[in-house]
Amino acid sequence: MDRNKLESAASHYTHLRGLFAVPGGALLVLAALGNWEWGPLRHDWVFVAALLALITASLGISRYYNEHYGRISISTGERARAAVAAFGTTALMLAASLLLRSDQDWSLDLPVNGVAAALAVGFLSYYALTVGVKPHHALIWGPLLVVALLPVWGGLDLTDTSNVGLVLAGVAAMASGVLDHRFLVRSLEPAHDLNLRAADVGA
Amino acid sequence: MLVREHELLLDRLIHEPARLAILTVLSSVEDADFTFLQRTTGLTKGNLSSHLTKLETAGLVQINKTFVRKRPNTKVALTPVGRQRVAHHWNQLERLRDLSESPASETGDGSPEDASARRAS
Repeated sequence: MDRNKLESAASHYTHLRGLFAVPGGALLVLAALGNWEWGPLRHDWVFVAALLALITASLGISRYYNEHYGRISISTGERARAAVAAFGTTALMLAASLLLRSDQDWSLDLPVNGVAAALAVGFLSYYALTVGVKPHHALIWGPLLVVALLPVWGGLDLTDTSNVGLVLAGVAAMASGVLDHRFLVRSLEPAHDLNLRAADVGA
Repeated sequence: MLVREHELLLDRLIHEPARLAILTVLSSVEDADFTFLQRTTGLTKGNLSSHLTKLETAGLVQINKTFVRKRPNTKVALTPVGRQRVAHHWNQLERLRDLSESPASETGDGSPEDASARRAS
């Protein structure tokens, strides 16, 4: 019996419900397209309608997880760790994006993509603090971080750089989320060595 | 120091694999519902229900039946005694594993400390 697998099931379930990252990533892409006033997104109400659709999709995803995989209440310690991870990585992302390249006086104004780098660092830090960085996290967010830190972004103005960063991070979030979901489904499968389906209830 | 046999006795109620799996999952959360336990242990509804009844009768888990969106939802949580006993049970299993992996029983005093010292040397 794999004790670690059983004990980590709750932690995985809390942090790797990856389908939530699909509307989350789509929101980043929509924000970038809205900033560019692309197609119908030049109207504010279209963005608001899309946002409502994404919220509705998130509620549907929540219901899907609750009905197919159940509900849990995590321990106080785990809750505190999740809160620290969420607030910590959000603060880190904001600070990093402003520091690397922004219109703030104290910005280093480097020729990098601050938004993409900050989101990559933020997501990797969140995973490291909660469930550990899995191979697919490293494969998706690692290259994004490298690309974001290449000194090739100086030619684009700040708004365009930020919007490209949002699109890249949005696509990465969606891909990472789908793979998180796959990982979660596998980790919630009972271990083969248990084979408890017909376990004797006696004794 | 010799490890007395009664110190390594395993709790038969907990040692049954399905019940140990249920209790181990519950030890990492405040509470979990029936669906989550079924997913993580792979037990059928009937079997899980029977095991939970046994564990509740023994005072190791607390079962709370509520309704969510007009559907019945069964929440299960470890009692303080259950939490203590499953932790103790895993300790016992680890002690047994340590003892079985070392030749301590033949030449040493048989304690886990002795077994660890032997491996380190």
